[in-house]
Amino acid sequence: MFKDKREVQNCLGEQQYIATDEISTVLFLAERLDKPILAEGPAGVGKTELAKAWAGATGRELIRLQCYEGLDETKALYEWEYAKQMLYTQLLRDKLSQLLSEAETLSAAADRLANEEDVFFSERFLLPRPLLRALTSDKPVVLLIDEIDRSDTEFEAFLLEILSDFQVSVPELGTIKARHQPLVLLTSNNTRELSEALKRRCLYLFVDYPTMEQELNIVRLKVPDLNVKLAQQAVQIVQRLRTMDLKKSPSVSETLDWAKALVALNADHMDEATLNTTLTVLLKHESDVQRARQGMESRSGRGGSQAVDRYDANDSDPRRRRR
Amino acid sequence: MDSRIVHFITALRASGVRISLAESQDAFYAINHLGLDDREVFRVSLKSTLVKEAKDAPAFDRLFPLFFGSGQPPMTNGTGGMSADEQQMLEDVLREILRELRAELMRRLAEGRPLTPEELQQMGQQAGLPNAHQMYQQQWITRRMLQQLGLQDLQEAIDELMELLAALGLSDEARQQLRAAMQGNAEALEEQVDDYVGQQIAENMAQEYEKRPPLDDLMHRPFETLSERERDELRRQVARLAAQLRSRAALRQKRGKEGTLDPKATLRANLQYGGVPIKMKFKHKQLKPKLVLIADVSTSMRPVAEFMVRLMYELSDQISRARSFAFINHIHDLTREFEHGRANEVVQEVLERIPPGYYNTDLGAALIEFTHDHFDSVDRRTIVIFLGDGRNNYNDPRLDLVDQIKRRAKRVLWFNPEHPLQWRHGDSDMLQYAPLCHAVHRVSNLAELAEAVDRLFD
Repeated sequence: MFKDKREVQNCLGEQQYIATDEISTVLFLAERLDKPILAEGPAGVGKTELAKAWAGATGRELIRLQCYEGLDETKALYEWEYAKQMLYTQLLRDKLSQLLSEAETLSAAADRLANEEDVFFSERFLLPRPLLRALTSDKPVVLLIDEIDRSDTEFEAFLLEILSDFQVSVPELGTIKARHQPLVLLTSNNTRELSEALKRRCLYLFVDYPTMEQELNIVRLKVPDLNVKLAQQAVQIVQRLRTMDLKKSPSVSETLDWAKALVALNADHMDEATLNTTLTVLLKHESDVQRARQGMESRSGRGGSQAVDRYDANDSDPRRRRR
Repeated sequence: MDSRIVHFITALRASGVRISLAESQDAFYAINHLGLDDREVFRVSLKSTLVKEAKDAPAFDRLFPLFFGSGQPPMTNGTGGMSADEQQMLEDVLREILRELRAELMRRLAEGRPLTPEELQQMGQQAGLPNAHQMYQQQWITRRMLQQLGLQDLQEAIDELMELLAALGLSDEARQQLRAAMQGNAEALEEQVDDYVGQQIAENMAQEYEKRPPLDDLMHRPFETLSERERDELRRQVARLAAQLRSRAALRQKRGKEGTLDPKATLRANLQYGGVPIKMKFKHKQLKPKLVLIADVSTSMRPVAEFMVRLMYELSDQISRARSFAFINHIHDLTREFEHGRANEVVQEVLERIPPGYYNTDLGAALIEFTHDHFDSVDRRTIVIFLGDGRNNYNDPRLDLVDQIKRRAKRVLWFNPEHPLQWRHGDSDMLQYAPLCHAVHRVSNLAELAEAVDRLFD
C-alpha cells in the first residue's frame, strides 16, 4: 500500500505514466478507502493506460472488461460450461447407473442423484469471465471496466453489488466473496449519463487533455527519439488544434502516433510539407483536416513552421481558453 | 470543521450539484481517514467523493476556496522596523490627518490589522449582503464594502501620508518600507473582504436552498405558474426523471424483443453443444423509436417546449434518431443545436435566431414549409409529435398536411398543455386537429409531460 500521493506519482512515473497531482491523489484515496474510481474524460487521454500503469505500479495483474452494448452477465461474470457438463455426464454414465442401480425405489434413486448434484454444479464447470476472475483470483488484481457508458443500464445496475461489496451471487453456488479486494477503475467517455447509484459508489476523477507542459513531457518520455525542438512544435500544434472547433480533437495517443510518424519520416524540422503529409495521423475526418489547414494558414499566411512558432507559450493552456 | 464541511456541501447543493447522503458520508469518511494535514489531499478527497460530474467541477472549484480558502490573509506590520521616535512621528501624523474613517484605515494598513468578524458582519449588513443570493452579486457587494472602508482612493491617501512623513523627516528607507507594507496590506484586506462576501453569499444560497418548495409539488404545478427559480429547480430534476424513463424504456425493449428466429446466430451459439439447438437466438426487433418533434415556441408555449426538448435530449440514447423543429410562423430546424449543444440553450438559441417582432403563430404556414423542406425526416418508423396549443390566430390550419404526415408516419401524437374544455374557445383549432392524431396527451405540468413521453416507448 502506498504511503502518500508522492509515492503513487513516483511509482506511476516508473511505469512511464505521468500523473497529475489530482490523479495520484485519487488513486491514493481509492486504495485507502477501498472504493472504485470512475474516470471520465474525452477519448484518448490515457484512462485505460492509467489502469495499466496502476497495475504495474502496484505489481498486480490487470483484468480488463471491455463494455459494449448488449454485454450481459454471462459474458462479464460467468457461464456454465454446458459442453463439458454434457461430456462428463456421458463419460460418467456407467458410474451413474451403477450408483442408481442400488437404489430400490424411484425416489431413493432421485435422492441419490440429488446428493451427487454438486458434482455438476460446481466451480469445475463454471467458466469464469473477467469479473469472476477478478474476485476469485489468488493474487490481488486491478480490475478495469472499460467504457462503461457503452453498456446497457441493466448491466450498470448489475455491477452495483460488485462495486460496493465486492461480491456476486451465483444462484447455483451462493454468494462468492472477493478473496482479495481488487482495485477497480471504471472508465467512461461520457457518451451517456451514468446512473446516480453507480456514481455514488465511486470516487470521481475527471481526466482532461494535458497541459502543454505535461503533454511535452509525455511525448519526450514515450518517443525519446524525437528531437526536442520538433517535439515542442508538434505539441504546440496539437494543443492549438484542440482549441479549434473540430469533429474530433486529437487525443494524446494520436499525438504520440504523430510523434512516432515524425521519427519514422526522419523529420528534423516542421515544415509545411511534413505537416501536410502527416496531419492525417492526427485528424481522422476530412473536414477537420481542411479546417485545420485553413486555420494554420490564416494564422501565418506563409507556412507551417512560422505558424507553429507563433503559438507560443503564453496561451499554452487550451482548457482555460476553451471555458 | 465538520460543520464547515456540512455548510460547504449545502452550498454545493444550492449551486446545483447533486450530492446524496451516502456521498457526503464518504467525504467525511475520507477526511477522517486521511486527516487534514495535506491541503491538496483534502481538496481532492472532497472533490472526488462529492462531485460526480464534470460539469459540476467549476462550482466546486469556485466554492472550495471560499470555504476553506486562504483563511486570514497575511498582513505585515509596516512599523516593525521603526524606532520609537519614528513610530511616535507616524502616530502624530495619523492624528494630524484625523479625517474620521480614513485615519482609521491608514492605521489599520500601517499596522497590518485584519478586519474582525464583527466588523465584517456590520459592513456586510450595510452593503446589503444578507439579501444577496446570487454569486454574481459578489463583486458588487465587495466593492461597496471596500468603499465603506475608504479603499477607493487609497493611492492619494498614502501619497499624502508619505509627504507629511517626509516633511517631518522620516527616513527614506522607513517610508519605503511603510509604503510597501501598506500597499500589500490593502490587497490583503480586499481579498479578505472578497472571501467573506463570497462565503456569505454561498451560505445564503445554502439556506435559501433548504427553504425551497418540495419537488413533488413542483412536478404537478402547471408550467405557466412556475417562477424562474422553480423552473430552474425543475430543470435539474429532468435528468433524474429522464434516467427513470430511460431504464423503463430499456427494460421494455429488452423484454419485448421476441423477434423472428435468427438461424445464423443460433447455429453459432450452439456449436458448443455439437449443433444441438439448446439456446435460441432471435433477431432483435428494432424498438427504439424515431422521433420528429414539431414544437410551438411562442411565448405561452416556451416552458413546455423547453422541458420537452430537455427530456428528448436526455433520452437520446433510447431514440434511434431524433429531429426537432420549432415554429412560430416559420419552421426552424433545431436538429443541429440539439445534437451539439446541451439542451439548456437550445430553445433560447432558437428564439434568438427568430427575428424579433410581432409573432403570429401559424402552424399552417409552418407545415407548408415542413412538408416542402423536411418531409424526408418522416418515414414509416417515425413518431411525429406536435407540441402546441393549436391556437392558430384564425389562420388556415392546413389539416390536409397533417393528414399527409399521418399517412407517412408510424404515429402522430399531439401534446397540448390546455385542458380539453378550452379547445372549443377562441382561435383554437385543436378540435379539428385532434381526430387526425393517433393520440392527444395533455401536458400542463412536468409529471404529465413525463408520462406522455414515457408512452412513446410502449
